[in-house]
Amino acid sequence: MHQLSEVECHRTVLTFDERIASLYQTKLKHTQEKWEAIGSMDFDDHGLVLPEPESRLPIQTISGSGVPITDILLKEYSIQSNHPSGGVFGPRAVGSNFRRLLELHPTYIDPMSSLAGAYRVNFMSYRNPAWNPDCAYPHLEPQIKKYKLIPGIGAVQHFCQDLSIGLTLGWGGILDKIHRFRTINVDDEAQALYDGLEATVLGIQNWIGRHGDEAARMAAQEENPQLRQNLIEIAAINRKLVTDPPATFREGLQWVLWYQIIGKMYNMGGSLGRIDQLLYPFYQRDKFKNMLTDEEAVFHLASYLVMDTSYMQLGGPDENGVDQTNELSFLVLEAAHRLKIPANIGVSVGKNSSEELLRRGVEIQFADHAGMPKFLGVDNTSEGFTRNGYPIELGRQRIYSGCHWCAIPGREYTMNDCVKINLAAVFETALNDFLSDENVEPSAENLFACYEKHLRCAVQATAECMDFHLDHMYNDFPELHLDLLCHGPIERGRDASHGGVEFYNLCLDAAGLATVADSFAALEQRLDREKRLSWKKLKETLDANWSGGEGERVRLMMRSVPRYGHGGTPADDWGIRIAQLFTDLVKEKPTPHGFNMIPGIFSWAANILYGLDVGATPNGRFAKAPISHGPNPDPGFRKDGAPTALANIVAVVQPGYGNTAPLQIELDPGTVRLENGVQLIVGYIRTHFELGGTQINLNIVDKQKILAADKDPNRYPDLVVRVTGFSAYFGSLSPEFRRMVVDRILQE
Amino acid sequence: MTGKIFHIQRFSIHDGPGIRTTVFLKGCPLSCFWCHNPEGISVSSELLYNPDKCIGCGACLQCCPNGVHLMETDQHILQRQNCTACGKCVQECFSGALEIAGLTLSVEEVMQEVLRDQAFYSRGGGVTLSGGEPLMQAAFSRAILQSCKEHAIHTAVETCGDVPWRQIETILPYTDLILMDLKLLDSDRHRAAVGRPNERILQNARLLAQQELPIEFRTPVIPTVNDGEELLALAGFVTELKQMRTRAGIAAELRWEWLAFHRLAGDKYKSLGRAYRAAALPLMPLSQLQELRKRVEREYFL
Ligand code: SF4
Ligand code: SF4
Repeated sequence: MHQLSEVECHRTVLTFDERIASLYQTKLKHTQEKWEAIGSMDFDDHGLVLPEPESRLPIQTISGSGVPITDILLKEYSIQSNHPSGGVFGPRAVGSNFRRLLELHPTYIDPMSSLAGAYRVNFMSYRNPAWNPDCAYPHLEPQIKKYKLIPGIGAVQHFCQDLSIGLTLGWGGILDKIHRFRTINVDDEAQALYDGLEATVLGIQNWIGRHGDEAARMAAQEENPQLRQNLIEIAAINRKLVTDPPATFREGLQWVLWYQIIGKMYNMGGSLGRIDQLLYPFYQRDKFKNMLTDEEAVFHLASYLVMDTSYMQLGGPDENGVDQTNELSFLVLEAAHRLKIPANIGVSVGKNSSEELLRRGVEIQFADHAGMPKFLGVDNTSEGFTRNGYPIELGRQRIYSGCHWCAIPGREYTMNDCVKINLAAVFETALNDFLSDENVEPSAENLFACYEKHLRCAVQATAECMDFHLDHMYNDFPELHLDLLCHGPIERGRDASHGGVEFYNLCLDAAGLATVADSFAALEQRLDREKRLSWKKLKETLDANWSGGEGERVRLMMRSVPRYGHGGTPADDWGIRIAQLFTDLVKEKPTPHGFNMIPGIFSWAANILYGLDVGATPNGRFAKAPISHGPNPDPGFRKDGAPTALANIVAVVQPGYGNTAPLQIELDPGTVRLENGVQLIVGYIRTHFELGGTQINLNIVDKQKILAADKDPNRYPDLVVRVTGFSAYFGSLSPEFRRMVVDRILQE
Repeated sequence: MTGKIFHIQRFSIHDGPGIRTTVFLKGCPLSCFWCHNPEGISVSSELLYNPDKCIGCGACLQCCPNGVHLMETDQHILQRQNCTACGKCVQECFSGALEIAGLTLSVEEVMQEVLRDQAFYSRGGGVTLSGGEPLMQAAFSRAILQSCKEHAIHTAVETCGDVPWRQIETILPYTDLILMDLKLLDSDRHRAAVGRPNERILQNARLLAQQELPIEFRTPVIPTVNDGEELLALAGFVTELKQMRTRAGIAAELRWEWLAFHRLAGDKYKSLGRAYRAAALPLMPLSQLQELRKRVEREYFL
């Protein structure tokens, strides 16, 4: 550790807080540049820093989460295709192209930060087409189209690596491991994968090494002694990390930062998982040697968090159920609190979890109004997982690592958050089919039987799609980045998507629950019971999207039925029934190839996108309007929007197999001003989990501020909200996404 | 047994400790002109009409047996004196413009709603009866409170205090906390502001203070009504009660809270077709209120 000379001690030295403030300003500046160059960004606020203006090449593409976006490419780089379509497919071609990108990727060093590195482009944006046209699936298309499935074919990442592998081996060790197993697994598939993995590591080493050189060059020119010293240290650390594993806390963070930003660059992959556990030995060692103070640790963590918003779990049980919260858990929270930028930090809440950590998390929510942290019902996710036939010890190792999802680090392939069934689209298909059959007496109950039939078909078709994905993905766009830190891919010579890891538990989420529940309830009450309208007339009104003389009144009539989420309404019962049906159908059998599927209820923020596919629905929703969000009721489900009512219904509809149905909740700061506000919300969170809940995404937002920011986002460049599982700058969102957040807050 | 309820609010966090459900009972002996639950004052059910939500579909005109709704030159007019609050028009109004304040519910129905949030009460929350004045329906209130206690739910009663003592007495065995309004010490001014003198209220406050039961007195600080010396007078009274309690060896807490005046009830008055006199009152800055509070605490060691 650097000792200041006597002379240096007498100079004005920048404090850690001053340096954090500088990091924050730089982040705002980068965000501003992205707003100007890209426009709205309806996804995680990744730490991407745009290339220099003269190197920027704007294009239209699809994001890692399937959203159409504008993206900026690096002019100096172009892809070398291995296919007539212009695409790049298979481990060798992908690996060599990615290596080339890393080798000419610019360096990034902020002398204020203790860590180097930022990524400038998304490799995936160069891959066009993303799916090999030789590998078409016309046999699956009709069902995909019929039910508007989100089938997950070609989905990338969304499972969790085991960082401890990298922290132990370093890049040199990983390269050795590849070389070792290359001689054992000599089949073509394995050899191709090794070529891809090796190219990736060589590219990574090149990029890191160049940061070492660049930091040394900058140090030579730096006049401020404190920053010069910092740059000298950055140079030394990174020259070392080209091959060696990290030894100190700062080196550990630097190593993880490389891994994560390279994951983001490659395919948005990489999670922090249990970072408070993984880095704890480094922290303890440094503390023991008096090389590190907590203030310094917070600063290093802030230097990290400003560049990477990956998902992490703080605290929570070890495999024996003993809570693992430590000093570092608190320091991570503290660093995010001081930064006040988007961050995806989950605090574990369970029977044995730390009350203090939960309290601190809620206090920070109240202090910052930045939707951070979120809260994880760790007991219910781990116990739920055992219902798939796994032991509880394994369930506890399945940790929070992405938007709404958990995975076993390095051992499980999941397709989390990538495969969805739009319940409302299936409902629309069922309703059309049902009303075209003249032999059936129209009633909500009979419609439900028809719905069940279609939903079963939709689930089965999705399962076939996932099998297809697992058959071909390795040869399309393999997980070269995540494979490096998984147990198995290198050892077996198989991509994680193709038998490389131990467990395959494929995520299948439902979206649009409230839309369908409210639709059934409205049909039952207004048509069956009150007989205010014939089914035929309703169908015409839906087809006309509620237009025409009586249209609006009929819409309001259907809409004014007591809603899902209100508590004790028939719509609640329908919601519970539909969630159960979906769960049962997913668990009825594995995919045709025998892979386990796990049901969840989550739409991500794609409920806006999915709504575009669905015509008017009997709950009074207009054609193309968003479907409901996750397991949440639609805004306006109760006049008072009672958070307890919300927590109750979301707890009841949980599928309960270890994947989540997150509660999304917005609270007024009025709650916070109460003297016992923190205690109250702590109790609220605990109670939701005791009732069966799995995850809480909380925003504490001032209505007036959000409304003002919606009108003029530029006035609030620093306003952060939790959009869904992810958090982002409010001003970065498209008008549609902002509307969704605003509607939730106003509950209208 | 049934009673008349105009609202059941879940996740109620301003009427007693923790997360609560507040049951609002209809009818109040007082008529404070600033009341922010004006739909709770009358004992009878009332029709609420929100013109902003009305889409002018005319369904209410057709179904009302008493011709209450009229459409005159595109203006929707209500002849409220003819309305029996039968609720027929509400059933036909899908826009949410019409509502009935005051539903007759059984104890079981109220409890069904209350029990939905039972899990949330266990960390210091519970149920609060409010209104209106819950003790205008003392037997019904008592039955709800009793049922809450059978379910081990913490109970609070928010009262204006202007009811016979024997009615208060009936609920005490099932009540864990009393929230009681104190507005003015001067009876004439009290009558002028809320329509009734205050002797009975003060007497009940003294009797309550002698019970081994936590009490929170609450004073809505209303500009022009009790925003100055009046508070000092009330402070004297509260101090007297506290001393009385100490002498009697009562350990339960006695608190005195002030509630800031707001002018947010305008829409409710509009829905009832009544004038909102308090709209003309000035707002008192929070700092001024805090200043006052400090002064009172200084002078009265509260
Ligand atoms: S029924 Fe409702 S919306 Fe229609 S005119 Fe009457 S008040 Fe207005
Ligand atoms: S409540 Fe009954 S009487 Fe009153 S306006 Fe409506 S229908 Fe007429």
